[in-house]
Amino acid sequence: MTAALEVRHLVKKFGGLTATDNLSFSVSTGESLGLIGPNGAGKTTVFSLIMGELIQNAGTIHLDGVEISKLSTAQRIKKGVSRTYQVPRPFAELTVRENIRVGLMPNSVRQMVFGNSDKARETELALSVGLSEADIERNVGELSMGDLRKLEFARTLATGAKIMLLDEVFAGLTSGEISMIAELIQDLRDQGFTFVMVSHDLPAMEPLVDRTIAIERGALIAQGSFASVLADETVRAAYLGT
Amino acid sequence: MTQIIIQGLLLSGLYALIAMGFMLIFSIGRVLNLAYGAYLMVGGYVYFWVSQQLGLPQIIGIAAATMMGVIMGLLKHRLIVKPLKGDHVAVEISTLILAVVMQAGVVLVFGDASKILLPIVPGVTQIEGAAVTYNILVAAIISWIIIIGLYVFVRNTYTGRAMQAVSMDEKGAAISGIDPDRVNLITWGISGGLGAVGGVFFASYTQLSPTMWVGPLIISVAIVIVGGIGSIMGTLIVAHIIGFLEVIVVAKLAPELRGVFTMLLIIFVLVLRPQGLFGREEAH
Amino acid sequence: MNLRWYHFLLWAAFAATLMLMPELVSKGTLRTMIFACYLAIFAVSWDLLSGRTGYISFGHPFLIGIGAYTTAILSKRFDVPLELSIPIAVVVTMIGGLIVLLPALRIKGSYFALVTLAYMELIYQLTQVVRPDLTGGTRGISGIETLTRGAVNGYYLAATLLIILTIFSWALMRTRIGTALWAIGMNEESVRGSGLSTTKLKCFAFLASAFVAGLGGAFYVHYLGSIAPRALFDINFLFTILVAVLIGGAGTIIGPVMGAFFLVFLLEWLRPWLPGAERYFIYGLIALVIYMYEPKGIIRIFSNLLGKLRGANK
Repeated sequence: MTAALEVRHLVKKFGGLTATDNLSFSVSTGESLGLIGPNGAGKTTVFSLIMGELIQNAGTIHLDGVEISKLSTAQRIKKGVSRTYQVPRPFAELTVRENIRVGLMPNSVRQMVFGNSDKARETELALSVGLSEADIERNVGELSMGDLRKLEFARTLATGAKIMLLDEVFAGLTSGEISMIAELIQDLRDQGFTFVMVSHDLPAMEPLVDRTIAIERGALIAQGSFASVLADETVRAAYLGT
Repeated sequence: MTQIIIQGLLLSGLYALIAMGFMLIFSIGRVLNLAYGAYLMVGGYVYFWVSQQLGLPQIIGIAAATMMGVIMGLLKHRLIVKPLKGDHVAVEISTLILAVVMQAGVVLVFGDASKILLPIVPGVTQIEGAAVTYNILVAAIISWIIIIGLYVFVRNTYTGRAMQAVSMDEKGAAISGIDPDRVNLITWGISGGLGAVGGVFFASYTQLSPTMWVGPLIISVAIVIVGGIGSIMGTLIVAHIIGFLEVIVVAKLAPELRGVFTMLLIIFVLVLRPQGLFGREEAH
Repeated sequence: MNLRWYHFLLWAAFAATLMLMPELVSKGTLRTMIFACYLAIFAVSWDLLSGRTGYISFGHPFLIGIGAYTTAILSKRFDVPLELSIPIAVVVTMIGGLIVLLPALRIKGSYFALVTLAYMELIYQLTQVVRPDLTGGTRGISGIETLTRGAVNGYYLAATLLIILTIFSWALMRTRIGTALWAIGMNEESVRGSGLSTTKLKCFAFLASAFVAGLGGAFYVHYLGSIAPRALFDINFLFTILVAVLIGGAGTIIGPVMGAFFLVFLLEWLRPWLPGAERYFIYGLIALVIYMYEPKGIIRIFSNLLGKLRGANK
């Protein structure tokens, strides 16, 4: 069976610094993978490489067995992989509906000009992530951090993503908001979405992942169940600092 | 050949002086002060008014021009740059509008026609068989004195080092007890003064006219962009590249083409290497 | 596109007002109106590229100039009929501009503005030196065939062109592409992260803008009958376009049109007191104050007022 997402021997160097060091891992369809590591271990870099926001020095990335390493970010997203950011990046002066609309747009100028926006779908997506009817016509500038996270999910779903890379989705949230987002992720897992998740909030992350890998200085240091990875000597040493 | 080298050196010194004030603002606040050329224009006109129309000594004319430049710089920071709170595009647009307003103001007071500035120091000398006016020679020497002074000031005084700190990392500087707002204000003042002095010499080298601000603005932009952010050495080197390019083009090709290579340089450097030839890379 | 009945009503009123103008005002004012129409077209062109995306163009006179010079040279030097030379000029503006500016679309913010400014100065210097037998050098070209005779006809042509181009641009910006262009101005990375190619979008905005600029420039030169580099490739000309957009309200298409008319009438109104170029002093100051007070322009000031009135009525 081919993996939903497979990364092989990925290398990324910034000048003298190796941010990703011969990293290989894969996620199968419907699986949720936790990606942990201390600050500066290169977790976000991995996401940027998968999305094509950075270009690797060596290695390949496959989606459903098809190599995507040479595609542009936009093309990769249309193939079904999408990410969120540590700090949400909404379009601050647009409404929630318009934000989702941007995610739903086809990457074709002709269709953008002549096609119509699918209002029903926009509403459906907003409601499905837990935003209220009243929020939909609101400017995103007025939203709380938790609602901004939900909006990120809605826009990511709008792009047609089947695989979502979640970067620190719990950062900056109140505990109430954390449980709401966790519930949303569980929901999406039940619907068959595939996840790769980075978070510092390990307790919140634990119930959401099937399997976990740990990296340090861009290299894989442990993999297995969440508990076994956390119990791993190398991982503990990495977190404590050497 | 000697002619080209001498002319090139003298012109480059002048350009370096002009670009310094622009570079200071760009490296401290990351904003392009598109009204910078207007400092030069106003400096030139103030000097013209004081020393040629009122007949006061030239040194008072230069002092008055400098004072005027400093005041304009301070006012601009307080009235435009600070209220816009670091919105770079807004600052650029409003300073461009301001430049045109100042141009119109000069027309209002002095009229449309261009004016010839008497040489600050009259006379001509021969260097290696090349005729050089004392005027441009003095301009170049004073430019160098000011540039070296500026270098020493930035390196060795508290304010100068505070300026460097703010230019590298405004938040970090603020944490270390530097008031970035004050440093910004001071820098705008210095920049205004430098621009106005540069304007006096530039005007005596060319002529005074209400549209004279465009040329030096573009030259400053080119020097700073190509030289890179916050690099006095880069500014000096590129001032010489551009100065010599112009002198060579005028001597060997056609005077009308003098600015073409400056423009091409801006375009190529910005498109290929936006951090400039000698600038440090900016982290975002 | 989400059209409402009052949109049609407002556009009909806009077109009718413009079309009735010759009955209402003197010939002299009509000439001012013609200038206002062309300025509005240039402002709309600027707005298509820069108003929403935040890629500020300081080189729009460069685009307008390509259109104007192409048709002027073709018709004057090669006797190409205007029906052919104008469309060619538009195509040349779009393609030529795209080739030249495409690399610049990679760079952001202030640097984009500077590159476009450099292009304008570059072409200003080049037109004077390169092939002066074609471009007429510093003095430019005069005796270019005009499309119409007299102020009234000239006005009808300019106003018709303005109405068509404004409605076209307005409608275009109401489609999803308009939303996507706003989004680029707010956060380009997120647009890319939504699976859209921002290069494609920016190119489209650029082509739309160049189309309007080229068309406007070509018609303008065939109204004036002459062209000179300093009148076109000039910071003062750029300033006038920019100020029209900013006073009116960038990104809204209608705002820049309003801004253009506001400016031209301000100039006209100031004429008795300040006959010379000094008018620009007042005009620039007013622009600066409006821009500092409300960067989104008079259209925002109006809509805020309207909002307050509605709020008061409730």
